[in-house]
Amino acid sequence: MNKITKFVNNASIKRFRFWFQIVAFFIIIYGGYAAIEIGENLPTFACPYLDKPGGTCFLMGLQHRFTLPFDQFISFRGLAIITSILFFLAGFVFLNKAWCGYVCPIGTLQDWFTKIRQKLGIRYSNYSEKKFKKLKKIKYILLALLILIPLGIANSIPGVGKLSHDWGVPFCMVCPGRTVLPIFNGDFSQLTIDFSSKTKMVFTFLGMAVTGMFFAGAFYKKRFFCFFCPMSAFQFIFKKLGLLRLVKDGSKCTKCGDCYRACDMGIREIADDVENKDIVKDDCMMCFKCVAACPEEGCLKVNFLSKTIYKATEEGFYKRTK
Amino acid sequence: MKVYAGIDIGSTSIKIVLIDESENIVAHSTNPTGASFHKNSMDAFQSLLERENIQKADILYLASTGYGRKLLKEADETISEITANAVGAKKSAEKIGTVKTVINIGGQDLKGISLDEEGNCGNFVMNDKCAAGTGRFLEMTARTLETSVDKLGELHFNLKGVPASINSTCTVFAESEIISLLANGHSHEGIVVGVHYSIAKRIARLIKRIGVEDIIFFDGGPAMNKGLVEAVENELMRELYIPDVPQITTAFGAALIARSVYHEEEVHA
Amino acid sequence: MEKERIEKVKKHIRTEAALEAGQVLKKITDNFPDNPEGMKYFYDLLSRQFSEEILPKNGKKLIGTMCVQVPDELILAAGAKPVRVCSGSFPYDNAGAEFMPAKTCSMIKAIMGLFQVEDFREKFDMLVIPTTCDQKKKTTEILKDMGYEAYSLAMPSRKDDDNSRYYWQNSVKEFAADLMKKTGNKITKESLKKAFDLKNEARYEFRRLFKLRMKNPAVIYGKDAFLIANAYFTDDIESWTAALKKLNDELEKKVEEGFSVANAKVPRFLFTGSPPIFPNMKIPLLVEEAGGLIAIDEVCSSSRLLYDMPSYDEQGLYDMIPAIADCYLKPCTCPCFVPNEERKDKISNLIDMFNIDGVIYQAFSGCQLYEMEQKLIGNFLMKKGVPMLYIESDYSPEDTGQLSTRVEAFIESIKMKKKSSAAKKEENKKDKK
Repeated sequence: MNKITKFVNNASIKRFRFWFQIVAFFIIIYGGYAAIEIGENLPTFACPYLDKPGGTCFLMGLQHRFTLPFDQFISFRGLAIITSILFFLAGFVFLNKAWCGYVCPIGTLQDWFTKIRQKLGIRYSNYSEKKFKKLKKIKYILLALLILIPLGIANSIPGVGKLSHDWGVPFCMVCPGRTVLPIFNGDFSQLTIDFSSKTKMVFTFLGMAVTGMFFAGAFYKKRFFCFFCPMSAFQFIFKKLGLLRLVKDGSKCTKCGDCYRACDMGIREIADDVENKDIVKDDCMMCFKCVAACPEEGCLKVNFLSKTIYKATEEGFYKRTK
Repeated sequence: MKVYAGIDIGSTSIKIVLIDESENIVAHSTNPTGASFHKNSMDAFQSLLERENIQKADILYLASTGYGRKLLKEADETISEITANAVGAKKSAEKIGTVKTVINIGGQDLKGISLDEEGNCGNFVMNDKCAAGTGRFLEMTARTLETSVDKLGELHFNLKGVPASINSTCTVFAESEIISLLANGHSHEGIVVGVHYSIAKRIARLIKRIGVEDIIFFDGGPAMNKGLVEAVENELMRELYIPDVPQITTAFGAALIARSVYHEEEVHA
Repeated sequence: MEKERIEKVKKHIRTEAALEAGQVLKKITDNFPDNPEGMKYFYDLLSRQFSEEILPKNGKKLIGTMCVQVPDELILAAGAKPVRVCSGSFPYDNAGAEFMPAKTCSMIKAIMGLFQVEDFREKFDMLVIPTTCDQKKKTTEILKDMGYEAYSLAMPSRKDDDNSRYYWQNSVKEFAADLMKKTGNKITKESLKKAFDLKNEARYEFRRLFKLRMKNPAVIYGKDAFLIANAYFTDDIESWTAALKKLNDELEKKVEEGFSVANAKVPRFLFTGSPPIFPNMKIPLLVEEAGGLIAIDEVCSSSRLLYDMPSYDEQGLYDMIPAIADCYLKPCTCPCFVPNEERKDKISNLIDMFNIDGVIYQAFSGCQLYEMEQKLIGNFLMKKGVPMLYIESDYSPEDTGQLSTRVEAFIESIKMKKKSSAAKKEENKKDKK
């Protein structure tokens, strides 16, 4: 047993994650071909615009379900929202936010861009502390909009009336998952602008712009898109239910900042917060690079059901930096 | 009679205390230290034994303390004067209550000790290498005024008029300050009072760092100077407890420690 | 004639300094039993401090540094040898006192004395001095005025915000560029990676020693631990690491054999404040000769020196240099930073980790920062319930008499406390039974 823990703690999490992500990527993009179907309410971008994905994204269904007149909330359709959230949670609790760091195909794609950039020896760019704080809020705005707009389709807004059905699945329209992932099926059809109506034109145009930004941004900035992801915001609401946890023992922290440097999301608290045990912030994607980068014995730990499965060790740190 | 001995080799005088099994003082003496620490201490010790008619073999344990403690190779135990002082003060004032603060003025140092509930030495302060405000300062004053140290208390209470203010606590600077005060026609009494307050101020500043709590125990040779005691009381705005023979408290503490170490060793043996 | 006279004076100071170092070493080796075999290397090295053979051969450039915040990795990567020139010598302190203001701290005076007496202008290609405290800052200018190539490495006064972090990263980047110019060698990601590994190996061994010092009863005296770190100042990093590895192996074996230098009853101290630098081992020696043990320290000449390990995420200079910079700023607990809460946290953790009974806080007279921070640390420790002895001192031996009384009284008071708490525990046990 001791040998196994030692082996795990000395392991290179980067390599493990690299392969895990590849497998997850293939399951999500091509899973359907191998008759894999892991669910309709996945807490990750398993895009329904794909040919035969291995599961589907929770957000798309959520947008559909919220296209709901107020009087029908207390009905079978209203109940569907709750059951879908329960299904979402059933998947979510196992990996917690590690869905982002280990499974999300959009996240994986961004990591690959980063790899290419590193190979080319091009330096990364970073947000300043102030900008970072401002940008963090966008994902909550997007989350609010992706619920409010569908409600606006089903209900009349005073002075505006009901929104047209062209406003349907508004987030999907701007999500890079819709435009980029089908490319892996050889399908470039989403990379067009729909001129059928004004609303559709604006939405598809925005989608194209986001896609452009996604490519350029993700190349220079690690996990560029994840700052804006409403899925991440939605997950954060339920993080307390997660069985997989990232915990910190602040008394062992020297604030050396190695974890902060390793963090693709630039979360400062990981290095500076020595008070809180629960260190997972809304931007965290539980990639656990910080745990691998920490030289203090047991300062950062990954727990599953309160059992430590991976922790920072001096030996592991030393092995990994060599 | 079997006794325990404590010997405090200070910078100006050697104090020796002998106690019996029930911690009563059997005999004590005070002699000048002079220039040969070891010889003078042994002589003083010998003459005390002779005076009290005690055999060397009756001494169960000997603890040395004070500045020259390490020179006395004959001692069974050496102990720092701070610990010895705390132990001695606690025991000396037993009948009136628990000592919380000890102020000690020695020949070349100034100490403040705070004791915890159990009478252990908690926090302490001590002057560094500078001898300002110590017994040396009083000696210098007496010498400059052509009187003796034990007359200073008397002079203090004879003051008619205004005391002189001495700004300097440094022994070297104060000497020239006193001379210039004399040159300006200040009275001896005024200068003495000024000196006492100057020392008192320094003591107050030093011991405020460790916190002052009653009962305050004031010992060391200069505690015999009533004028200085009054000055310190006024500066601290508190009453001081002065033991009957203030200069032997530390030696008494050493003797008490000698007794307890002796018993501890007995248990182990 | 005048020249000859000056040479004579310099020679005299040099002899005095060598004498002092010899005496202190003798105290360190002779007054303590069972010095580890592996310490011989370090004793020997310190006896030759700043002599010709310590200086690098084969045309390597020599870069003098002061303060822990100078990133050695860059100097090593630029193919030069870093040597920390902070001095603990009293004769040089005296020499410096001749032209430095009276209230300057002993260490600064000793450094200035050293550079005045020894003509190092030819030997050192550069002296790197971070802008830590005011005295170090001005030292740079005075050294320049004396004809030395002194380099001021700009440091922020804060370490907790991004502005200071980027400011420091930029200043380290500039330093790297200037180093390349000075040495004529390019710092590449390969050479930096090598330097990184070299220093991390040194850090690894240093941490091994750190863990060995946690053992109670102790296997090594604090005085020896100070010397090991002091030797790092001038030694070649590879040979230093190798020597420490040997010592660690020896100590580990000794632990297995059940050997110890002090039993579990000996009071264990944490030493913090102004750095003891060989041969100024005054306070540590007073403590350990009086029967205490310096189990661990929190000073820039020892445990602060090699503890924190940097790591980078991407192997490219654009990430490696800032990674190094971060490691020298964020975890540093030098009192030149505000706020410096980290120092309290660190001291508190060390107290728990090393079973510390008391703290010894040394401040050099004239070192305002340590003198002032003493109050803060003292209050913090009072709340934690750990006694602290504050000692203000300098390099001169004249106050040893008074100091030894205070140190001994402190040790006695801790012994008494330990005894009474042990007695209480006994009683509690009996009561329970």
